[in-house]
Amino acid sequence: MGVVGVRPADSAEPDQPGQLEPLPSEGVGQGIESPGAGDSGVPETPEQRTARFERDAMPFLDQLYAAALRMTRNPADAEDLVQETYLKAYGAFESFRVGTNLRAWLYRILTNTYINGYRKRQRQPVAQPSEEIADWQLAQAAQHSSTGLRSAEMEALDRLPDSDVKDALSQLAEEFRMAVYLADVEGFAYKEIAEIMGTPIGTVMSRLHRGRKQLRDMLTGVARERGFLRDAEIAS
Amino acid sequence: MSSGDPRDTDCHEVLEQLWLLLDNECDHERRELLQRHLDDCGPCLERFGLEEHLKALLARKCGGDHAPDALRQRLLQSIREIMSQAVSGVEVSSSTESHVWLSTEC
Repeated sequence: MGVVGVRPADSAEPDQPGQLEPLPSEGVGQGIESPGAGDSGVPETPEQRTARFERDAMPFLDQLYAAALRMTRNPADAEDLVQETYLKAYGAFESFRVGTNLRAWLYRILTNTYINGYRKRQRQPVAQPSEEIADWQLAQAAQHSSTGLRSAEMEALDRLPDSDVKDALSQLAEEFRMAVYLADVEGFAYKEIAEIMGTPIGTVMSRLHRGRKQLRDMLTGVARERGFLRDAEIAS
Repeated sequence: MSSGDPRDTDCHEVLEQLWLLLDNECDHERRELLQRHLDDCGPCLERFGLEEHLKALLARKCGGDHAPDALRQRLLQSIREIMSQAVSGVEVSSSTESHVWLSTEC
């Protein structure tokens, strides 16, 4: 358990996504230091550790698979990514400290595995984030008149099938997509997303802002294509 | 934005911070201030409503996938195989512990 304990609580935040280090025990979670199985002085047997892993980590399988689907955008790759993630997590589980945020820890391994290893093997070209060109969108977003979705538009969005919304999300640049997914679907706090993605909180907020704006524009466009929304309703 | 009068809070500023409110990332004081402004400002409230709607829409439509049963079974089997190897003599030493951490970074 010593490996986790000696890490500084607030190590320097890396500039690039994917430079993830093991979660410091204080970094994510409730900050409650409950004694782990390995802290009691009696070493945990492999059987006990396996039972603990199956009890605590396996229930997140559906969530991690859903996240992997959003990352890889196809089921076969998502399965491979989740499998690799779980086997790594199991291998490192001895060092995971009870009382810290297991869910965030698993997501961090998932993201790390995807960004640093898996993505490179994926044949599908990956869209690069365009954070620097989106400043005009920020200015536009802070005005009432230019972006106001009316109730007709909200109703139109509700009528979109799930697949349309998932497709729109999948078209966002990877970093935006993950930030939006972690915040809006998984409900992670900014601080947790920063830990999972290995970025400063300010970057998380910026990605969220821009990703959500792009997503909303895309969804409105799809609703219009589907005939759920007439131009007159948008312009009003 | 310090007097507490909703009219003193600029709409531009409020719109920039709406997501902090929606994401539950506000402290109590800022939350009160934003909510007071929304009570008084129709356009900002409308904008808040649609952002809230979008967030709920994403949560509703983009989650809920279930992992295939075959994947679950495969994982459980792999984990138990690894455990059996550990039990049958390949004890985890302190040096392999740091190796394990490295492996999560690959």
